[in-house]
Order: sequence, then C-alpha cells, then structure tokens
Amino acid sequence: MKNIFTIIKKEFSRFFKDKRMVVTILLPGLLIYLIYSLMGTFVNDMINGDGNEKYTAYVVQMPEDAQISGTLAFILDIKEYESAEKAKADVENGNLDLLIIFPENLDEVLSGKAGTVPNIGVYYNSSVNSSYQGYLTVVSVLENFKKPLFSVNAGIQADLVGEKEFAGKMLATIMPMIMFALLVSGCVSVAPEAIAGEKERGTMATMLITPIKRWQLALGKILSLTCFALLSGLSSFIGVILSLPKLTAGISGDMAAYYSVGHYFMLFGLIISVVLVIISAFSVMSAFAKSVKEAGTLIAPLMIIVILLGLASMFTTAPALGLYAIPLLGSALAMSAVFTFSITPLAFLLSVLSNLVVAAALVVGLSFMFKSEKIMFNK
Amino acid sequence: MEEILKVEGLTKTFRLSRKQQKLEQTAEKVKTAVNNLSFTAYRGEIFGLLGPNGAGKTTTLRMLATLIKPDSGNAFINGHSIINEEDKVRRSIGFLTSELKLEGFFTPDYLFNFFSELYGVDKAERDARKRELFSKFGIDRFAQVKFANLSTGMKQKVSLVISIVHNPDFIIFDEPTNGLDVLTAKVVTDFLEELKAEGKTIILSTHIFSLVEKLCDRVGVIIDGKLIALDTLENLTAEHGLEDTFFALYDKTTGGRL
Repeated sequence: MKNIFTIIKKEFSRFFKDKRMVVTILLPGLLIYLIYSLMGTFVNDMINGDGNEKYTAYVVQMPEDAQISGTLAFILDIKEYESAEKAKADVENGNLDLLIIFPENLDEVLSGKAGTVPNIGVYYNSSVNSSYQGYLTVVSVLENFKKPLFSVNAGIQADLVGEKEFAGKMLATIMPMIMFALLVSGCVSVAPEAIAGEKERGTMATMLITPIKRWQLALGKILSLTCFALLSGLSSFIGVILSLPKLTAGISGDMAAYYSVGHYFMLFGLIISVVLVIISAFSVMSAFAKSVKEAGTLIAPLMIIVILLGLASMFTTAPALGLYAIPLLGSALAMSAVFTFSITPLAFLLSVLSNLVVAAALVVGLSFMFKSEKIMFNK
Repeated sequence: MEEILKVEGLTKTFRLSRKQQKLEQTAEKVKTAVNNLSFTAYRGEIFGLLGPNGAGKTTTLRMLATLIKPDSGNAFINGHSIINEEDKVRRSIGFLTSELKLEGFFTPDYLFNFFSELYGVDKAERDARKRELFSKFGIDRFAQVKFANLSTGMKQKVSLVISIVHNPDFIIFDEPTNGLDVLTAKVVTDFLEELKAEGKTIILSTHIFSLVEKLCDRVGVIIDGKLIALDTLENLTAEHGLEDTFFALYDKTTGGRL
C-alpha cells in the first residue's frame, strides 16, 4: 500500500511541477471555450444579421394590396428598370438581387374574385449571397399571404413534452459522445508519456530493480494517470459549460437545475469508471510500445473505438438491461439514461461494475507486462 | 570464507532478428550470450568480471539483478534464488549500470527520498545516509538542481549514491568509471575500496585492466559468454601482467579473432 502511495506521489510531483504538463490540462478547456464561443457568436451574427440590409429589386406589377406592398417595401430597395428583361440580365450578372413579377390578377384573387391560381415569379442568382438571401426572405414573406385550405396546429402548443424532458433528450443525445471524446483526449495526453516515456528513457528499469511489486507499480501509475485524465476532462468540460450559453444563445439556461444530486453522483461515478478503463487500456498499449511515438500509433485505433462507443448511445433507445453490462458502451447508455431521467440503480451498478472489472483485469495485465523482460527490455 | 554469491550454470540466449543475423554473419537464429556460467563470490571481496564488449558481462549482471531471467541455471545471493525469490534479492543488492536511468526532471534530493521509500528505508536513517553520502561526493551543493542539468560526472555520482540508498551488502557495479574524468573516476574507485573495508561484497564488471589490478581480489575472465579463467589476481598475474595474461587467454579461446 505504501509503495502505491509512493508511486502516486512521484507521478503527481512529476506532473504538477512541470509547467508543460499543467498546460496540457488547461489548454483543451481554454481552446474549447474560445472555439465554441467564437462559433456561437459567428452563428448568431449569421442568423440575426444587423437588420439594416435591404435587397435591391425590380418589381413588375406591384399589387395594390397594402400589406404585401408595405412589407416588401420594408425589406426591398426597389429600383427602376426599363424592362423586365434588362432587370433579369442584371440579376444574372449580380448587379441586382431580385426580379419579382406579380401576375396581373393578383389583387382580384386576393379579394376572392378570380378563380385561377396566380403565380409570382421571383428571379434570383444563387451564386450571389445577397440575391439568394433576398430570395429566401421574399418567398417566406409571400408564403404568409397564401390562403391555405386548412391549417394544422395553428396557435396551439401541440408538442406536449415538458421543458425538462426536452432538455434531457437533447443532452442525452450529445453529451455521452462529447464526454467520451473529452475523456479520451485527456487520457491520450498522459498515458504514453508516463508508461512508454519512462520505458524509452530507461527510468522504468530503475524502478523495476527495487523491491516494489509489479502490481503496485501498475496500480500506482494507473490511479495517478486517472486523476490527470479526469482533470484534463474536467477542464474541457468546464470549457463546454462556459461556452454553452454563447453557443446555444440562452437555451441552456437552467438545464443544470433539472438534475438532482443523485444524478450528478451517478454521472461522476460513470465518468471515473470510464476513465479507469480507458487509461488502463492506453497504459497497456503504451507498455507494449518502445517509444512515446509508437505508443501514440498503437493507441489511435483504440481511441476511435472508444469514441464510436460514445456515439452508440445516440442510436439506442430503451436498451435491454444486458447492454449496460458491456464495458464503456453500457456507460454511454447509462449516461444517456441519466440525462433522460430514466436511469435505474441496477443499470448504473451494472455499467460501473463492468468497467471496474475490465480495468482490474487490465491492471493485472499491465503488472504481467512489467514482469516480462521481452516487453520491458527488448530494444 | 562465507559464500555470498553462488552462480550455478547460468545460461541466457537471445533470439536474433534477420538483421542481427546479417550483422553477425551467422545463420543461427539464437545467440548464446551467457553459456553455463558458474562461480562463487565471498563476503567482503571485490570480484572482477573482465571481458571485451559483448562477452556477456552485462547480461550476467542483469540476471543477478533480477531484471532478466536465465534460460537455465540459477544463482543465489545471500542464499536467495534470483529466480524464485526476486523480492528478497532486490532488497539485498545495489545495482549500478548505465542502462538504469534517473528521471532528469527530479533533483538528487527528491530521487534519494523516492528510492529510499521504495526500499522501505526509514526517514531518520535516510536523512543521515543522505547527508553523509551527499557530502562525501559533493552532491550537497547540487541537491536541488534537476538531474538533467548536472554534469556527466555529477550524474554518475548521483546514480552511484542512489543505487545504494538502502545500504546493501552486495553491490553490482557495471563499468562504474566509464566516461568519467580521472578525478571523478578516482572518487568512485576510492569509494569502492571504502565499501570493501566496510565488509560489503562488490561485483565489478569492466574492460579496464588497471581498474581490476587496483581493486579486485579475484577475477573471472569472460569471453563469448564463457568463463575462461577464474582465480585470484595474484595467481592470474604471477607470470605476466594482467593485460598479457588476458590477451593470451583471448587468443587461445578465439584463435586471435578480433
């Protein structure tokens, strides 16, 4: 026990006294925050625009209906042309955004006199951004003046889902994947250095001639690395949370308050057990590798598999209980279930236990690798 | 005299890759690095293992230090088998070799404490030993400097000190003066004599004749993994100097191949 603690202490001083290592924890969170915030701001700008922009247009036979002409005048900067043909040519070469041709009988149709369905031509140039945006705006404006035969769900709150369940469903779809990706990136940044790096530099052998038991060394390493990966995952997680309001422009408001302490506890338990499995698996791969570089190569396929497992929860609804007993996959499903408030204690325990069993097996495997001269000393 | 090390028929083979086969100009897939090696070392002596590069000295020492396992044979240190009682062996030996590196990020002070803990040395004893050894080797001035930033000589001194944090009775030194200037080399050789005076047993592997002549009580000559000669230094050098004796043995064994 004392030896495990000695190893953990050493790993911690190695990690926290090294500025570069600390940066590997903080950087992902900072980057995620910056990128997501920028993305949110950018998307917001695109959706809302500055509101002052008008599209240039030539309008043939503007209807007398005050509502239509009034609305169009509000969004269009109406130009004069000799003929529709000339205006069309200007739309084509990008000098004019739109050419709108109203049928002669539109006012009669609107007042209920004529019978034939009138057609409005809105000519635009999809290669010119302002033209295309103008087209979309005008069409959506005109859609409002269409007279439907009947309406569906007009003026009623038809989706009876609660606000809480809606938010839960949304989080359940994206969060397991995001969490798995963040945790994997945390593990990747610490495992190869601490195992393959020590092997490559010859410092592992120095520990192997001391009386420390191999399983103590393996466990000490994996417990410390789990902490580092959790910290790195936490930093990324905080980055996501802080940038969320900007990204979703207010939707996420009080999402966090929907969940109870129990939910957070389960989420935390799931995260720890997932990190233990990933770190152990990456450590085993790193122990096989002769260098940090080779460890990176060996870990890459494993990384993809883990992230895919995180994705799997997107496509599974109401999974059978047995699925929770599959390591990692079960945890992704359980995280989903926590977010949709449908987690059961049994499902939670199954998924955590399955992870712990696999992690323990990997620690034992790593101990045997530390014993093997072929793996530790083959150059 | 009390036997502290008993080596019985140690044999170690390595598989050769195609590339290595080409380099060594051999069709054999297996190379015998150590071939049926047997010898005994007694308490309080400095036992020299003399041999050219690639003779199997380091492989032998790595087996004794339990880093690798022999294919056959066994060795007993203080009566503990290197095969079945690795932990007891590890506890009772110190091993200094250039292959065992120290983490450059840490200071000598930290490293001394870390390895003391792994060997289960208690704090009071550790601090006393640290003070004594650090001042003897002049490490005290560099105790808080990162290992990576030390000079080659200081690094070797720190490695030497770390290898004996637990005050072992039995110490294996693999080429301890390699790459050191004459001053540092003298500090190291003087220390080996001190250790001997304290009653420690030292296995010293080297290819430097003068070092053997200066320090060793008995010498084993290893060539191509086999123990060619084993005797006291006096007997080995009775007729000629150690160097001439070695070359004569080498010619006899290999037919003068270089």
